Amino acid sequence: MQVKKISPREVEELIKENYGSEISLDNFNVFIRKDQKIFLASKGLPAPLIEKSDYLLHFGTIKKNRKIQLSVEGSQLVGRTASKNIAVLDEENISKFVEGLSAKPRELVGCSIGNFVLVKHGNDFYGSGVLREGYVEGYIPKERRVMKEMKRI
Amino acid sequence: MGAMLFKSFEEKFRPILKDEFPRLVEYLSAGPRQCIRANTLKVDAKELRKRLEEKGLKLEEVPWYKNAFFVEAQEKVSKTLEYFLGYYFIQDASSLVPPLLLDPSPTDAVLDLCAAPGSKTTFMAELMQNKGLIVAVDMETKRLKALSSNLQKMGVTNTIVFRHDGRKALDMEFDKILVDVPCTGSGTTNLFFWSNKAVIKFSNLQKALVESASKMLREDGSIVYSTCSIDPEENEAVIDYAITQLGLKVEKVHVPGLKYREGLTEYAGTRFAEEVKDCIRFILSTIRQKDFLYAS
Repeated sequence: MQVKKISPREVEELIKENYGSEISLDNFNVFIRKDQKIFLASKGLPAPLIEKSDYLLHFGTIKKNRKIQLSVEGSQLVGRTASKNIAVLDEENISKFVEGLSAKPRELVGCSIGNFVLVKHGNDFYGSGVLREGYVEGYIPKERRVMKEMKRI
Repeated sequence: MGAMLFKSFEEKFRPILKDEFPRLVEYLSAGPRQCIRANTLKVDAKELRKRLEEKGLKLEEVPWYKNAFFVEAQEKVSKTLEYFLGYYFIQDASSLVPPLLLDPSPTDAVLDLCAAPGSKTTFMAELMQNKGLIVAVDMETKRLKALSSNLQKMGVTNTIVFRHDGRKALDMEFDKILVDVPCTGSGTTNLFFWSNKAVIKFSNLQKALVESASKMLREDGSIVYSTCSIDPEENEAVIDYAITQLGLKVEKVHVPGLKYREGLTEYAGTRFAEEVKDCIRFILSTIRQKDFLYAS
């Protein structure tokens, strides 16, 4: 994978600005790709193999104005200590969100319209979306979505 | 299974399996039982069990691995929020065994030679607590995408993935190597590939893969060889080749909670090396799981 190693501090600062979370990425090597996607790898993986690899854990994507959209796994790493830009969804709306649909939040924690928000249901984090007027626009990758015809339980 | 295929299958396996042959047929008719493995990289297994049982799923602990469960409500397992979150992996209970035997530690460098779609790779990453190194290779690009997708969902960070023909040795050495080979699948319900001709073809491929693995193994390292075939050509004959041609030794293994029998030391007039009996073979018809043979 064509990636450049960056300091974990750069990403930690973005996370703090966006979600108020003070996570440490010290256990990882952090990489950025040309399309601004951020990837994590356990420390100690040899650099030549990183270049060769088709896979690294996708953590999130840096957007304009120092925003960062998080993958499901990124949101799970960040969510536990996050204090802002959190949209809490109820049972019905989390079902819509995992299908890739827009969902109505039950509660908003420190959110602004147009920002990326962490999507939370119960104590779990389901990725991120963009907060619009009255709803969260979903960004769940197609391959991860729960199929609509499959009734979620 | 068609009548012709069954006749050929019975002619081959009834003499090998003797009184166990009806159990195999029973398994082939019934199909596998759904099993899930809690992903402890993300969630505590007890907490997951409680959550799923509260949703009405009936879970029964797999006897040979405490964090995996047989699940009765098969149609629901891939539709839960917990599955979306990557809190568990759906797999055959039998495929838990090769990683358990390889027993990778957080300091090991591990090679998964035929890795896709990743049930064993993700399990090994979990056993290694996302530390150390796993190099996971496979031949097919499409299957590599499935592997990467599963690694992401399970939150794996210690694994490198690339396309590679496992028959060619990499310029690297590993402490542990999993050689879970392509096979005819004669121990599964998927018998589309099975024929006597295919068995020979796969047997040759499997020997080449084991040979390649042996070149990448560190001194005192371990290889676990596994198949979901019950053909001696794909199992004991390959291990015999590893002993007599590659100088590998078979280590006797034990899997608490799993009933198995030893490898065959003779088949169709061919006598295998005595150590081949230390391989393990099992048919899990009573719990409807696949048949595997392992050696390490």
